[in-house]
Amino acid sequence: MLRFVVRRLLLLIPILLGLSILVFVWIRALPGSPAQALLGERATPETIKQINHQYGLDTPVYQQYWKYLEQTVQLKLGTSITTQQTVLTEIRQRFPATAELAVAAALFSVSIGIPLGFFAAKRHMRAFDQISLAISLFGISIPIFFLALILKYIFAVRLGWLPTVGQISVLINIPHPTNFYLLDALLAGNLGAFWDVVKHLILPAVALGSIPLAIITRITRAAVLDVQNEDYVRTARAKGLPPHTVDARHVMRNALLPVSTIVGLQVGLLLSGAILTETVFSYPGIGSWLQQAIQDRNYPVIQGGILFIAIIVVFVNLLVDISYALINPRIRLGNK
Amino acid sequence: MSIAQLEAAEVSLEASQGGLWSEAFRRLRRNPSAIIGFVLVALFILVAIFAPLLAPDDPRAQDLQSIFNGCCPGPSSHHLLGVDDLGRDELSRILYGARLSLLIGIVAVSVGLSIGIVLGSIAGFFGGWVDTILMRFVDIMLAIPGFLMAIGIVALLGPGLFQVMIAIGVVNIPIFTRLLRGSVLAQRENDFVLAARAVGVKRRKILIAHVLPNSISVVIVAGTLALATAIIDAAGLGFLGLGPQDPATPEWGNMLTSTVRYLQTAPFLAIFPGVAIVISVLGFNLIGDGLREALDPKLRGRA
Amino acid sequence: MRKLTKAMIGFGLVALAVVAVAYGARSHKTASDTLVFGSSADPVALDGALISDGESGRVVIQIFEGLVGLKPGSTTVVPSLATSWKGSNAGKSWTFALRKNVKFTDGTPFNAAAVCANFNRWYNFTGSFQNPSATYYWQTVFGGFKKYDPKSGAPKGSLFKSCAAHGTSSVTINLTAPSASFIAGLSLPSFSMESPTAMNKYGANQGSVDADGVFHPTGTYATQHPTGTGPFMFQSWTRGDKLTLIRNPNYWGAKAKLSTLIFKPIADNAARLQALQNGEIQGYDLVEPQDISVIQQDSNLKLLSRPPFNVAIVGMNQAIPPMNNLKVRQAVAYGLDRASVIKAFYAGRGVVAKEFQPPSLFGYSNTVKQYNYDPAKSKALLKAAGLKLPVKISFWYPTGVSRPYMPDPVKNFQAFSASLTKAGFKIVPHAAPWTPDYLGGVQDGKAQVYLYGWTGDFGDPDDFAGVFFRTPQKQWGFNNPAIFNLLTKARDETTLSKRIALYKQAENMLMNFLPGVPYAHTSPALAFQKNVNGYVPSPVDIQFFSSVSIG
Repeated sequence: MLRFVVRRLLLLIPILLGLSILVFVWIRALPGSPAQALLGERATPETIKQINHQYGLDTPVYQQYWKYLEQTVQLKLGTSITTQQTVLTEIRQRFPATAELAVAAALFSVSIGIPLGFFAAKRHMRAFDQISLAISLFGISIPIFFLALILKYIFAVRLGWLPTVGQISVLINIPHPTNFYLLDALLAGNLGAFWDVVKHLILPAVALGSIPLAIITRITRAAVLDVQNEDYVRTARAKGLPPHTVDARHVMRNALLPVSTIVGLQVGLLLSGAILTETVFSYPGIGSWLQQAIQDRNYPVIQGGILFIAIIVVFVNLLVDISYALINPRIRLGNK
Repeated sequence: MSIAQLEAAEVSLEASQGGLWSEAFRRLRRNPSAIIGFVLVALFILVAIFAPLLAPDDPRAQDLQSIFNGCCPGPSSHHLLGVDDLGRDELSRILYGARLSLLIGIVAVSVGLSIGIVLGSIAGFFGGWVDTILMRFVDIMLAIPGFLMAIGIVALLGPGLFQVMIAIGVVNIPIFTRLLRGSVLAQRENDFVLAARAVGVKRRKILIAHVLPNSISVVIVAGTLALATAIIDAAGLGFLGLGPQDPATPEWGNMLTSTVRYLQTAPFLAIFPGVAIVISVLGFNLIGDGLREALDPKLRGRA
Repeated sequence: MRKLTKAMIGFGLVALAVVAVAYGARSHKTASDTLVFGSSADPVALDGALISDGESGRVVIQIFEGLVGLKPGSTTVVPSLATSWKGSNAGKSWTFALRKNVKFTDGTPFNAAAVCANFNRWYNFTGSFQNPSATYYWQTVFGGFKKYDPKSGAPKGSLFKSCAAHGTSSVTINLTAPSASFIAGLSLPSFSMESPTAMNKYGANQGSVDADGVFHPTGTYATQHPTGTGPFMFQSWTRGDKLTLIRNPNYWGAKAKLSTLIFKPIADNAARLQALQNGEIQGYDLVEPQDISVIQQDSNLKLLSRPPFNVAIVGMNQAIPPMNNLKVRQAVAYGLDRASVIKAFYAGRGVVAKEFQPPSLFGYSNTVKQYNYDPAKSKALLKAAGLKLPVKISFWYPTGVSRPYMPDPVKNFQAFSASLTKAGFKIVPHAAPWTPDYLGGVQDGKAQVYLYGWTGDFGDPDDFAGVFFRTPQKQWGFNNPAIFNLLTKARDETTLSKRIALYKQAENMLMNFLPGVPYAHTSPALAFQKNVNGYVPSPVDIQFFSSVSIG
């Protein structure tokens, strides 16, 4: 097992290097130089030259890349052009919000998707199955931002049940030692604040979770259908075990295996979906931050942000692979 | 063509893969949701083709005199779906929008598909270091969430409809590459490939004549689903202001985005294009799903 | 499975109970003396000298005061920290009598030494502080700095010469040239009086250039410790979340009615309206035209109007042919259906602009040349200019922005583009995000025809026509000494009646020369909850909250 993990970790090195090259090249290919972005309409040939020198942009490209790599490894991701804070500081402020949102969306999609998929499979080809299929198809057919806008309009603006924007009400003051607002509220022992944060999470999480919900429902349904016809399930049934026991012990346990991998693989989807969702709800996470940065040509933020998200995705995929290997020994052995 | 020739052609079809296809078709016909999907997509394509005949108005013709208090009179007998914030006929814009959405989907998927097929089959068929390098590259591309990568590419190329198509196409490349490679790998060891090799058929010929045709079914399913995603992603890019340069363009994502601000005064302006997107995407998803079930060898002979 | 079900039901009940308790414990009804205002973005910094954006100015003006202020709801200059002032030495020296017994909120007394400390700080800025984006308004009103730095982009030479304190409550500002208009300029948030003690203590002038060449303030003054004399004082600021001010209990004038004033950044205009309807905020600025009827019909909300003090313009760059041909510029003017655009898009809150400054400001001319929509005339002019129809022009418009004078630039662009097409032009659209691409491109002279505009900063015509046309600028691309000289003469004239005549003459000249086509003056709207009282909308981009109360 250790060897498997080590090999997978070693495999990450070329991927991360490749990623850094990709982001490096991309930044340099973008229209408008960093100097122009920094100086805006006030750029003169002299000031551009000066900035280029300060940035080391007048050195050979391989030296620039090496310097960039050195700094990235040391987590020196540079400074945001608009706020003058370091990119790392901003990630620390912004990422917890997105993490909370992504987890909430994942919880929503899993807690609805798995039962929906399970019961759909149990009632294969009947009305419930068709309805669950319809829900899941609808989920992947509706653009996230459209769903988010509609949800917001109905539940926040028309009905006034939930807040329209942000992460926490303005009038609630709690310290933020972790920047995970739910955790901060609990640490402060302020249940009112906790509930307030939950209320701010509901609509964005439902919108963001709509696609994973659809996918998880379908995968669960397919997996349960598959497993139901396996020999060991038939045997268990034939032995006269009560149907509940068979479902819980044999069907669900084995069906959840593929489902769990799929859940892990939704991370990329959740993070990129967060860009749209956070924009609709003015939610101060990493998605709205990146979107703003792209509009402002805030190169250090774009560069650091994309690299950060990619690394998260890569590591979560690794974790999924490892846990999958833990559950299912055949994978390990099958690997050359 | 004589009857004999027809029969011969049919037999040769059967012999290659007609069994799979005709059975798949039979099963597809019995799948109500796939049929709904076909109807929706057929409708979508027909509207796209015949938009100029169907549309009551020029989708770009403004009528500022009909606008007051900021926005916008709703449906009437003149304008069945009302007019937008510049007094343009909403129905005509929706109908013309089908063209652009279809175009975006097809171009984006073709870009991804054509490059993906080439890379995937090379990787799968030649294996070795070619495979390793290509697959590492695919891994790198897959590490960046697709929509984020599309945003990055549009930032690189500048906003615009064509750029959006290219961006979404590029995002699809690693997906198709991986798919094709998997499918080719699975067939590389098949009897007919081994046999062809044994008699000394060239590798390229084996790939083109034997392996690729058998991967077609996978490609069709994935392509249909990718079409659906492409339409959604294009709308998302439009929502972030990365859509067409000319704001008068009747593109659904663009129409939805520019009228979101009227959600309270004229909700229909956002809802109509939104629903149009959902319907067309739903159609492709239904077909893709139906095809997948129909072509799935595991489900063959069942139901 | 049954056990599982039971466990799940149990868990659900517990969760419900927690939620119910939490719900009971919530208490976020607005306290009646706290107001939450929806801003569109975070301020850049809270140091008046180093800002030029409206979001920063909105907060700074609550914490700080200048020597002079504006009468609420007007552009009339009134006493603030100075009680009176008079010029001598032919308008080159101005002596201010200062208000007595005023203290900054850190206890530092406000006196002549503090005034000179502020002026000297501004005048002595060096290095990155001289970047035009850092000290925009100093450079607009006073020009350059003591030490000229050619790399900074700041102009050489300054209107400011020296500051002399006479005792504690009188101060003289000496200028290098006569000027009357600078007094109005002193009402800007950028000329706020800041506590010299606090600025020293928290490093207002400290900053460094990091490895990336980016300037950072290393002090905490502008982000955590801004200290002024105003009706409110700073409490806390979490970027992206909120900025909280509290009442200054020792304010020298009428104390603020609100105990707490919170600014909450919400980027999207529609989201601000929704937050207002939902009670999450109590007010916001720049209501969009289509939302006006929504607010008017909502019995919990009310609408306030700012007096019009702006101008929207279709700019033309004469450096890019054929815009150098007057006939072509006239063809554009006749080809813009301005009346329909104002009627359709401004919801009754705009009038067609006839010249480059608003009617309420002195110097407005009633005798300028008029250009009513006439596409046939446009075509004739283009043919007379010897051009083949349609004439291709590149038309720039900004995205992702809403300005008081153009709530939705994309819509204005589409309408104008259609009407110009009818007038014999062929439009090539060019979209760009407002900052940095759009403003950068326009000001660099890359845009041929473009949407532009201006909101006045203070009540002087030099802040309209003068900003655009007193000097040669790349964005207009022309060199017309007659216009430059006339506007410079108008600025430096110290007799009001003569200034008025000069500006009228300038507007007439401009509307003949037609460097751009002014098309709208608007009256921007603010929205509040019905129970918010005492807010007086200002024509300039300034908001006073000290007189505001809730209830």
